[in-house]
Amino acid sequence: MARLPLSQEWLRRNVTTVGPMVAAIAIIAGFQVINPRFLSYHGIVALVNNMSIYLIAACGLTFVIMTGSFDFSVVNVLRLAALLCALNIDKLGLLVIPLALIISVGFGFINGLLVAKFNITSFMATLGVSFVVDGVALYLSGKRLLIMGGERGETFMALATTRIAGLPSIFYWAMGILIISFFIAMCTPFGRRTYAVGGNPIGAGLSGINVKRHRIYVFMLSGFLAGLAGVLFMAWQGGGSMEIGKYMPPPLFASVVAGGTALTGGVGGPHRTLLGVMIITWSEVGMLMLALPRDIIMVVFGLIAIVMAIATIDRRRIKIIK
Amino acid sequence: MKILGRNKLITPAMIQTLKTYPYPLILVLIAFVVMFSGLYPGRFLTPLNFSTTLTQFARLTLFALGPTIVLLIGSLDLSYVGIWMLGGVLVWLLMPILGMFSILVYPLFGLATGFLIGVLQVKAKIPSFILTLSLLFTFAGLASWLTGGVPRPVREYEFITEPLIPRIPTAFLWSIPIIIAAVFIMKRTRIGTYLYAIGSSEEGAGLAGINVAKYKILAYTLSGLFTGIGLIILFSHFGCAAPVDLKLGNVVEPLAAMVLGGTALAGGSGGPERTALGALTLAVIIRGLYLMILLPEVVDFLSGLLIVVAIVIGARGLKGVTVT
Repeated sequence: MARLPLSQEWLRRNVTTVGPMVAAIAIIAGFQVINPRFLSYHGIVALVNNMSIYLIAACGLTFVIMTGSFDFSVVNVLRLAALLCALNIDKLGLLVIPLALIISVGFGFINGLLVAKFNITSFMATLGVSFVVDGVALYLSGKRLLIMGGERGETFMALATTRIAGLPSIFYWAMGILIISFFIAMCTPFGRRTYAVGGNPIGAGLSGINVKRHRIYVFMLSGFLAGLAGVLFMAWQGGGSMEIGKYMPPPLFASVVAGGTALTGGVGGPHRTLLGVMIITWSEVGMLMLALPRDIIMVVFGLIAIVMAIATIDRRRIKIIK
Repeated sequence: MKILGRNKLITPAMIQTLKTYPYPLILVLIAFVVMFSGLYPGRFLTPLNFSTTLTQFARLTLFALGPTIVLLIGSLDLSYVGIWMLGGVLVWLLMPILGMFSILVYPLFGLATGFLIGVLQVKAKIPSFILTLSLLFTFAGLASWLTGGVPRPVREYEFITEPLIPRIPTAFLWSIPIIIAAVFIMKRTRIGTYLYAIGSSEEGAGLAGINVAKYKILAYTLSGLFTGIGLIILFSHFGCAAPVDLKLGNVVEPLAAMVLGGTALAGGSGGPERTALGALTLAVIIRGLYLMILLPEVVDFLSGLLIVVAIVIGARGLKGVTVT
């Protein structure tokens, strides 16, 4: 094969980085042309608000996908954590946060145990666990609408709603989580092991990484971040029911994949997920501004997930894909 | 831990016998029936509960038969609920144009969806679960949008499940020929043999001269077709309407029936007859749980737990699968 010109060669190699960036810019430009208020102050605040919860939950999911597994239960754990906060705020005050986080990490641990120790495909295991999580949430909340109130509720809600420099603090939470996740992925042994396990589990095992234990840690991290997203969601919204996150799975899954973290594992990272979340939430806000119904938005995200999964997956590495 | 192991209550030889026994699940099924009959003497072994259990069985089995074929090649097909939802909407939409023939949209739509999934999965090489999951969300969104969020009944097809024999639901009678057809295809035709071979070892099947891509696409297409045919009956059975609201339980329960029946998630072993047995066991368990005086939420929680346990047991020994 004749050598490609340098610029084409570079483009071919970096298509999963350049593609999402071009898409993000195109989306902003497109919606700006259609609706000039897209980039106004209110538009930007709406964008940032929409982004934050997704970003926190998606960071956890990114680590799982980087190891070549999948966590279906993120949204369900998020919902359970949010409902736990609303249920116990009067009794426990701010102690609901550790409670919700511990339970979320616990479910992450169960996921990891099922995947790593019992050799169950991660998708099936987490789908089953998410069913159990929903059962617990339904048992505790009983389809009621739970609303934050009282002095303790106000304190709790201040976690996410305090405005710093014009933006709500939930935005700073999300940015903090993103930077920490990026640091973990790039500069710590934990992060490097995650890439190694995703890139080649057998090789990682041979080079001395305890692959099973690492998989469990990654699922626990995903559970932790899903729980944190749930806590902040409740603090931000001030109430909710079993309907929390009903429309969340398609955009959440699509945003990780759209950023360029391939389902085959070993590539990607939280910085890619930031890009993906930007694409997905900005197009969501844009479509809502165009008054498209929620259902159509769900359809669009389902299709984006399929297209991006096709675009990013590394076919050289695996011969057989089930 | 004293129960298991050498010189204990249950010896390894007994476990080995249980494992080699054709269908250990039959014992589980009998155990559950005996247990529930003992727990609720006046309520479990009644004609009413009998017909309700058969209805549950028909529902689970008609949903699970098609995806079983895909599970046998080691992949996953979750699109069945999507076909149910969007197909119901299409039947409603095409009713003015096609008249009574519009119910045929179900098998055709199932066939088309299965073929599309097969071509995309095989040619674009993406994990089947993320593909079918995304398609499920897409179909659910479309169904909800096209109907405006309200189920649209088409009151023309109730004759399909008119009661024929008292106490025996017609949906159950219909499910028998469909189960037999699925078992026949998988056990007595070349297609079935090839699909088992692909499930055991895709590489080996390819080396043995089987056109793996073609037969994988065929597996997805068959899955869609079986789902579509089963849905004609279920559509009529559920008051000639399909839901437009996506529920996780509808997706998970047929999966549990397949796994409980003993079709391995890795592919290559199991089959439609096992799925039918799994569906019967799950139907008995669900009925038993509902007869307990419990909150519906507790029943949901318990059945969820049970499904996870079933999946754990069914997926034992699965090794070296990273992306699935």
